[in-house]
Amino acid sequence: MRTDLRARLLGSLQTRPWALALVIAVILFVANQLARSSFATWSSWPSLLADFAPFALAAIATTPQMLSGAGGIDISIGPLLNLVSVVVVGELIARGTTSPWIDVPAALAVGAAVGCVNGILVGVLRYQAVLATLCGLFVLSGLGQALLATPAASSQSWLTHLGAQVGPVPGGLILIASPFLVWLVLARTAYLDQLYAVGGDEVAAYSAGVDVARVRITAYTLGGLFAGVGGLALAAATQTGDPTEATQYTLPAIAAVAIGGTSLVGGRGSLLGSLIGAAIIFLIQTLIDSLNVNSNVPQLIYGAILIVAIVLSATLSRTASRAAEGETVAA
Amino acid sequence: MAVVDPSRAPAAPSGARPAPPLLRVQEVAKSFGATRALRSCSLEVAAGEVHAIVGENGSGKSTLVKLLAGVHLPDAGTIELTATPSPGRRSPRSVQAAGIFTVFQEVLVVGGQSVLQNVWLGSDGLFRRSVSESAQRARASEVLGELLSAPPPLDAPVASLSLSERQACCIARALVRSPRVLILDESTSALDVATRDRLFTVVRRLCASGGAVIFISHRMGEIDELADRITVLRSGESVASFARGEATADELVRQMTGSDHLTAGTERAPAGRGGATSGRILLRTRALRLRPGGRPIDFQLAAGELVGLAGLEGHGQHALLDALRGAGAVAGDVSTGDERLLRSPQDAFAAGIAYVPRDRRDESLFPSLAISENFGVATMGADRRAGLFSRRRSAARLANYVSELAIRLGSPRQPITALSGGNQQKVVVARWLAAHPAVLLLNDPTRGVDLGAKRDLYRLLERLSSEGVGVVMLSTELDELVELMDRVLVFREGSVEAEVPRSELSADGLVRRFFGGGGAQSDAN
Repeated sequence: MRTDLRARLLGSLQTRPWALALVIAVILFVANQLARSSFATWSSWPSLLADFAPFALAAIATTPQMLSGAGGIDISIGPLLNLVSVVVVGELIARGTTSPWIDVPAALAVGAAVGCVNGILVGVLRYQAVLATLCGLFVLSGLGQALLATPAASSQSWLTHLGAQVGPVPGGLILIASPFLVWLVLARTAYLDQLYAVGGDEVAAYSAGVDVARVRITAYTLGGLFAGVGGLALAAATQTGDPTEATQYTLPAIAAVAIGGTSLVGGRGSLLGSLIGAAIIFLIQTLIDSLNVNSNVPQLIYGAILIVAIVLSATLSRTASRAAEGETVAA
Repeated sequence: MAVVDPSRAPAAPSGARPAPPLLRVQEVAKSFGATRALRSCSLEVAAGEVHAIVGENGSGKSTLVKLLAGVHLPDAGTIELTATPSPGRRSPRSVQAAGIFTVFQEVLVVGGQSVLQNVWLGSDGLFRRSVSESAQRARASEVLGELLSAPPPLDAPVASLSLSERQACCIARALVRSPRVLILDESTSALDVATRDRLFTVVRRLCASGGAVIFISHRMGEIDELADRITVLRSGESVASFARGEATADELVRQMTGSDHLTAGTERAPAGRGGATSGRILLRTRALRLRPGGRPIDFQLAAGELVGLAGLEGHGQHALLDALRGAGAVAGDVSTGDERLLRSPQDAFAAGIAYVPRDRRDESLFPSLAISENFGVATMGADRRAGLFSRRRSAARLANYVSELAIRLGSPRQPITALSGGNQQKVVVARWLAAHPAVLLLNDPTRGVDLGAKRDLYRLLERLSSEGVGVVMLSTELDELVELMDRVLVFREGSVEAEVPRSELSADGLVRRFFGGGGAQSDAN
């Protein structure tokens, strides 16, 4: 009876690997609310979401590359967020190109172009993803600082709205929701099936006729596109173009993706999981801030959560592969 | 691409006129590093025919299939599909666009995805679906319904399916796209009997409507039942092609082994070592099963015995070797002569069982280390002096084996990669001999080894055997099995098909048993 329950629990965690993370996120949210009753009130939501959006988008922007398998990872996402904010605030707005109809597409284009280059390095030239995007990390950091040595502020009204409210809707919500809209559209095309197939079993996908290289390039381009949104979120939240602010997101973003149940070997996971993972890390940070304890503690805590998450996901995939192996031995 | 292809006219009744060739392969060759997997293979596949390709291990069947499927590119030669212009750069995708679909020996499904996703895998553009989802569902159910008496739900995860059902998904993946040429590479081995029969019906209908099927199977019965033409591959060359009924099973076996083996079989020297076996049992298995449903194996290895393991690739001979070295089996146990159970490779090593793996590069060599280090890794304890490792002692120990095995090397400090394949293998063998094993297990040790080194290894095995070491050797070289072994176990579909004593060993007899034939008519000429 107990083993039956365990099997069912494992089974449902297998199909929804982010379920556990969601439970943790809810607990952390309640804890935040208890620690500081002004944490989430009706009026504080917009600013809370605006604060959360850059990091949430960094985590979301790291996800498609990991889903594409073969050690797929993009560690240049943090500096890419910086670069986009620098281009929007330090270049476009500072030089008088203030229309959002130009600035927003430009931000997205910069992100997607950088992602596409990473994708070609990994998918066609077969560089190891960690190395290719590590180079990207240095190049993008350097580029951001070359364009703008120190943070530059902006009081452009559309950016201010995006950091607060656009009409009745929190700007942060719009920013965070936009990758999900793209994802929903993709789910109605043939692309997502192929992305998960390439990440799940590259050999099977290739021999079945999937164009593995193009699927990978697209995954990195999507990651870059979402990072473009993240760059806008960064500029909106801080009202500045900052060449260094998001660099610190790089590793926590990877942690958030892993906590959200996305497999580091590819083929399993979701954007939603990464959002929840990012919420956990964000909520630990805010909780520590409201409790006024030593600022080194948060890293310790999400390190510990990460260990639990990784052990759990390894156990899950092992039980799954063992179940599959019992059959394959019969080959 | 249309789901069903109404434009395909029904073919003329077979035999009325010679059908035009649909696929023409001319003198294709392919090498992997120093190994020439395919030297020169030519064949023509006519519309409407089932074209079987037979050959023993290493004859190049799988390589040919991978070239046809676009997984590898040929080094030389041409592959053309006469009805459509050849694809530019060959890849699985471009080859499929030309109408060639392949079902591989391995069951290539994406475990995390559904039956429907797996059946249509690879058919779509990057974003655009080739066929609407509702049409996909209809077509997938139709094809799966033809293959399986109880098709799984289309949304079931493929990981929950049986092996036979998963292979049926791979076959359906080819069939839903209305292939012009369907390649089945040992695809029937993972299928249950009912599914296989249903597949044969589908294959016949495909041929009747003007398609063609290339069929590779290790089951002579299936080839007899289905094939209109049989091409024989031997050592990477297409050596003969027969129309249905033109060749007897014996003739096929003769073509597969090559006529040179025939004399080797009759002129073989009588058992050379004069009954060195003392009868003492070194290793035994009890009710060992290599796969679920396999026949149990009760095997005993006596001191001084040389036992060969043979069979077509992947029929259980590797699994037995793994079981003997303590790496596990589905059921049953392995123990030493004095009844110590072997539960892990560590147990086996402690009990004096040494194993020389098949793949030198991946499983036995340390390419970045020197020759002497590669030699000494398994027995470093013997090189201790005052508790520290002594390089000189290691070199001195190696020197014994250098002369004994005739290893040709400059200095033991050279990197192992400086040696030829044969000498690398000798170093690996020396590594395990230095542990003074009671039993030596060898996994195809002469693969990719030059003739001189092979002879040295044969001499070594005979000497070990006369000293009472028990040897079990898996080999893909028929000649060495025939000439060297006291007995040979032939594996087929996970069980021991036959145990052939030395007095009855012949290359033809072994190959006939690989394909499930008896050994009785081995002296047909």
